[in-house]
Amino acid sequence: MAEKILLKNVGIPGSERLETYRSRGGYRALEKALRELKPSEVTDAVKKSGLRGRGGAGFPTGLKWSFVPKDVPGPRYLCCNADEGEPGTFKDRVILENDPHMLLEGIAISCFALSVVEAFIYIRGEFALGAERLERAVAEAEEAGLLGPNVLGSDFGLKVHVHRGAGSYICGEETALLESLEGKRGLPRLKPPFPASVGLYGRPTVINNVETLSCVPSIVQNGPEWFASIGTKGNTGPKLFAVSGHVERPGVYELPLGVTLRELLFEYAGGIRGGRGLKAVMPGGSSTPVITAEQADVKMDFDSLAAVGSALGSGAVIVMDDATCMVEVALGLTKFYRHESCGQCTPCREGLGWMVRLLEGIEFGRGSTADIDLLLEIASGISGKTLCPMGDAAVIPAQSTIARFRDEYESHVRTGGCPFKSAAGKVE
Amino acid sequence: MKAEDIQAILDKRKKEGGGLIAILEDVQAKYGCLPQEALKIVSKSTGRSMVDVFAVATFYRSFSLKPRGRHLVSVCVGTACHVRRSALIVQEFEKQLAIARGQTTSDREFTLETVNCLGACAIGPIVVVDGHYFSQVNVGHVSRILKKVRDGLDKVEVKGDERIFPVEVSCPRCNHTFMDRTHLIDGKPSIRVTIAFGNQHGWLRLSSLYGSYNVESEYEVPPQAIVNFFCPHCHTELIGGWDCPECGAPTVPMIVRNGGIVQICSRKGCRYHMLDLTRHA
Repeated sequence: MAEKILLKNVGIPGSERLETYRSRGGYRALEKALRELKPSEVTDAVKKSGLRGRGGAGFPTGLKWSFVPKDVPGPRYLCCNADEGEPGTFKDRVILENDPHMLLEGIAISCFALSVVEAFIYIRGEFALGAERLERAVAEAEEAGLLGPNVLGSDFGLKVHVHRGAGSYICGEETALLESLEGKRGLPRLKPPFPASVGLYGRPTVINNVETLSCVPSIVQNGPEWFASIGTKGNTGPKLFAVSGHVERPGVYELPLGVTLRELLFEYAGGIRGGRGLKAVMPGGSSTPVITAEQADVKMDFDSLAAVGSALGSGAVIVMDDATCMVEVALGLTKFYRHESCGQCTPCREGLGWMVRLLEGIEFGRGSTADIDLLLEIASGISGKTLCPMGDAAVIPAQSTIARFRDEYESHVRTGGCPFKSAAGKVE
Repeated sequence: MKAEDIQAILDKRKKEGGGLIAILEDVQAKYGCLPQEALKIVSKSTGRSMVDVFAVATFYRSFSLKPRGRHLVSVCVGTACHVRRSALIVQEFEKQLAIARGQTTSDREFTLETVNCLGACAIGPIVVVDGHYFSQVNVGHVSRILKKVRDGLDKVEVKGDERIFPVEVSCPRCNHTFMDRTHLIDGKPSIRVTIAFGNQHGWLRLSSLYGSYNVESEYEVPPQAIVNFFCPHCHTELIGGWDCPECGAPTVPMIVRNGGIVQICSRKGCRYHMLDLTRHA
């Protein structure tokens, strides 16, 4: 893509500073929103742009905003989810560290649209540099009257708080994030009620991802039609793809939604490392079902990936070459989810431990064919039977690798161990 | 542990409106763990029951009830690092430190832990020691990393009588070296960084002899101009914690090999510099 939108300032010296951001046209969209538009017109523009949430679920952002009740007196909040923790995902980090003002401008415009006067950014505790730059950016923006009691001299005021997380994957789930912000254990809440009506401290709350909010300034500045012209129908706008694993040039690439996986991997990320063959890809983070090399022509957007039985998720593309053992990948991920399970729901808490034991058995040569089927049975006993989507996500690595690479599980069982051990040793 | 110290944290957080997690973060930062006595004081003062406080303290992984080692080694085993064989790196640390993951060495120097995805997958496998990132690590790097941590974070003896001596410096953020062995200044490898001033953006090479002011640059820098310095590898701006005491321009930090930080003034012509070899956090 010739024109970069989300990464346009990345690589510019001092891109995280207010003066750099303003010298490159920053905060003009906020000015336009405050001077020329009504809050409802901003929401309409976001609706019309077709922007879908970039955190993983792909829910239409404008629609989410419209769920916040208009007539309830008292405070309402906006939370920016910067708890980027999905394995393989490192796209929000780029924005937080290099262009915090773009995010703040997006937050300010969104709060104006939603009549919110207090916003929270929940940032991963591990992102020390991002948090520092964000805190400095908030201070710079307040000093310049871009945040604070009278934004750009108008009667719209906004206070932005930066909250650092303390290390917990589940706090990226929106209701767990709210619990954590309130100073409690990050245990997901039962939905409904949804946060739009009962959220932070029981108040109506909108929760959006960093990348989602960062799209808002360009939508206001250039118009929703312009945004909708990027990408494919129903999957509009630019997307950050974080490519990692066995590629020559891992990194974050900004491309329109709908770019093919093949183009992303071979034209941008330099192809498979060491000239090896492509085996499998998790196209949207570790919670999205693996797809195989034969599916490399799929378009990287919400609907096309759903059509091949996977998901765009966070846009974290984890690439695995032909020396990768899929049982080992599933084992590693299931262990991770077992560790991160908050423990509230029995299927997730107990089932994942059981699955880990079975996967270890298969990987280390103690498994049987019946264990493969048992894994699928336990998975279906977890999926859809938990409070939050983590239960669904947690079984996907095992479920999807069995679905696509069952022969590999069976050869583990047959040969009594992992056939990749020697090959894997050679890769190093 | 002193009760007054905990009270000071509570008072500060109360003034700023910070909640329980923020209080515990401060206690953890002060003691490297959450002592039970401290949790009791926090419970009493915040009015949250001990069960509540303990529940939060045990939920988040940045909190620890047991004391950790002086250096925290975190090896990423997230999916992207995992497929690049980070499990072998964990095993190598376990072997060299003679502890299992999650444990602390008996001399309390190192705690080894595994983490799931640090959000830096493009440069994986990742190892983070005391907030310091090591990228594209393989098994062979492990002993070097441990040596670097032992040397770099400890006090280093400097021969005080040598007024001019070569230094080797690296980026405080990504740890990549600035030394350019193909381009010599003063007969020594030069220090290469990227600079920007006005509309210009190019390389700058400094003498690596501490005490020499010889520089070469792609573009002529006008006298008294303040220049922005960047790492040529990760492109992070190099900004020091304070302004130059002589001219007020920002200082530029670089990590010195074997421990310490050198800070130089970012203004052309200003000769302020400071070498701190005692310790850096």
